[in-house]
Amino acid sequence: MPTEQYGYELSVREVLPRLGVELVDIEGFSCCGEPLKSVNQMLTIHLSARNIAICESQGLDIFVPCPMCHLALSEAKAILSENKELLQRVKEKLSAEDLSYKGTARLYHTVDLLTDIVGIDAIKAKATKPLNGMDLATHYGCHIIRPSILGRPQDSEDPAGMERILEALGGRSSHYPEKLDCCGGPLLPNHPDTAVTKTGEKLKAVQEQGFDGMVLACPWCSKMFDSKQKKGGEVVGAQLSVPVVYITQLLGLAMGIEPSKLGLDLNQSPVVKLMEKMGVAF
Amino acid sequence: MSIMDLTSMAEAQKADRQELEERLRKLSLEAAEKCYQCGKCTSGCEAHKLLELEPHRIVALTKAGLFSEMTSSDLIWTCVSCFKCYERCPQKVAPVNILFALKNLSVLNGKDVPGNYTAMLQSAMTIGLVQDVQETVDRKGAVRTRDSLGLPPPPRPKDMEHFMAAIMGTAVEKV
Repeated sequence: MPTEQYGYELSVREVLPRLGVELVDIEGFSCCGEPLKSVNQMLTIHLSARNIAICESQGLDIFVPCPMCHLALSEAKAILSENKELLQRVKEKLSAEDLSYKGTARLYHTVDLLTDIVGIDAIKAKATKPLNGMDLATHYGCHIIRPSILGRPQDSEDPAGMERILEALGGRSSHYPEKLDCCGGPLLPNHPDTAVTKTGEKLKAVQEQGFDGMVLACPWCSKMFDSKQKKGGEVVGAQLSVPVVYITQLLGLAMGIEPSKLGLDLNQSPVVKLMEKMGVAF
Repeated sequence: MSIMDLTSMAEAQKADRQELEERLRKLSLEAAEKCYQCGKCTSGCEAHKLLELEPHRIVALTKAGLFSEMTSSDLIWTCVSCFKCYERCPQKVAPVNILFALKNLSVLNGKDVPGNYTAMLQSAMTIGLVQDVQETVDRKGAVRTRDSLGLPPPPRPKDMEHFMAAIMGTAVEKV
C-alpha cells in the first residue's frame, strides 16, 4: 500500500488524528507477504510475523488499512499460535534481525477502528457537511470479511460497518445483489482481461441500480473500481460514470477537510459529481 | 484441455497426497477427505463463471491424489482467493488453501510461474516490498509522487543484509 493508491494514505493521515487516533510510523516494516502466498506461503508467514514483531517491540497495536495485509497478519497470528514447530522456525528466522515475535499485538482495519474505537457518536460530532441522503454502494474487500474462522472485523455475508458510518453522515446504503462480488484485482498478475471484466460487471450493476457512487476500504479494490473503471467499462460495453471513494475520503469531506488534502484529485472516477451533491467546492 | 481429461489414466501420487495432508494439518485446516462433493464451493466461486475453476473438483482430485495433473494446469492460478469456498463449506474444508498448496507445489517442482509473481518475489527479497514506490497521475494527467504529495518515505527493512539472508532462506523452504 505505501507504493501506490496514495489517496487512501493521505485521507487516513488527515482524518484519523482529528478523531483522536495517534498514528505512529514504524521504521523497518516490509511487505506483509500476502501477494507471495501463491509462490510460497512460508514467505507470507515469515514477513507477516516480522511486521508484527516490529510493532510489538514498540508496544503498539497495529492499524492495517489494507484488507489483504490484515488477512496476512491475522492468519500468521492464528497459524503461529496453533503450531509450535512453525512458531519455533519463524522465531529463529526473526532472530537474524534481532526481532522477537510474541503474537500479542491487536490488529485494526479502518472500518472497525472507526466504528468500534473512535465510535459513531464521535464521528457524528465532527461531521459538518452531511451526505444529503446520498445512496452509496458499499464494497468491503474479500479479505476483511472472510474467512470468518480467522476472526474478520466485518460479517462475512452481511458486513455493516460502513453502512453505519454512512448513516451517521446523513447518507445511506441500499443492499444490492452484487455487494459481495470480488473486484477482480487478484487476477491482475496473470489474467488482466478477466480481472477488469469482473470490475466492469460490478460497476455496471451499481450504476444500473441508481447509486450515487461507491465507497470502499481496500486499496486493491479501489485500484480496480476507480483507477481501472474506464477499462472495465470498455470490456463490458458500458459507459461507466460511478464516483468511487475511500470511506476515509468521504468521511474527510463530511468533516469539512479540503478535497486535495484527502487525495481526491488522484481519484480517476468522476468524484466531482459526489462532491457537488455534498456542496463541496472543488 | 480440462484437468479431468488428463486424469482418466492417471495413478495416485501418494507422497504428494501425504505431504499435502501434513501441510493442511500444520495450518490447522480440515483434511480434504472431509469433502462430500456437495459443490457449494463451486456454486459461489468467483473464478468459476469466467475462468471455469471448479473448487469441488480440485478437492476431488486432491482426494484421488492426482497432483501432477493439477500442478501442470493453469487452472490452479485462476483462483482469486476470495475465500467464499472456505467460508461456505458445510464441512469447513478450504479449497482456497488447497489451491495455495498446489500453487506452492507447482513452483517447488520448477513449473513456470505465471504473471509477474517472479518480479514481486525478486522485489520483496531485495527491497522488502513486492514493488518499488510508484508515481501516479491526478485526474488532470499531472504526475504525482509520494514526495510531492507530502507523504513520508515508505518503510524499508533497516538491516537489509540480514533481512535478505533470512528471507532468501525462507524462499527455499516449505511450510
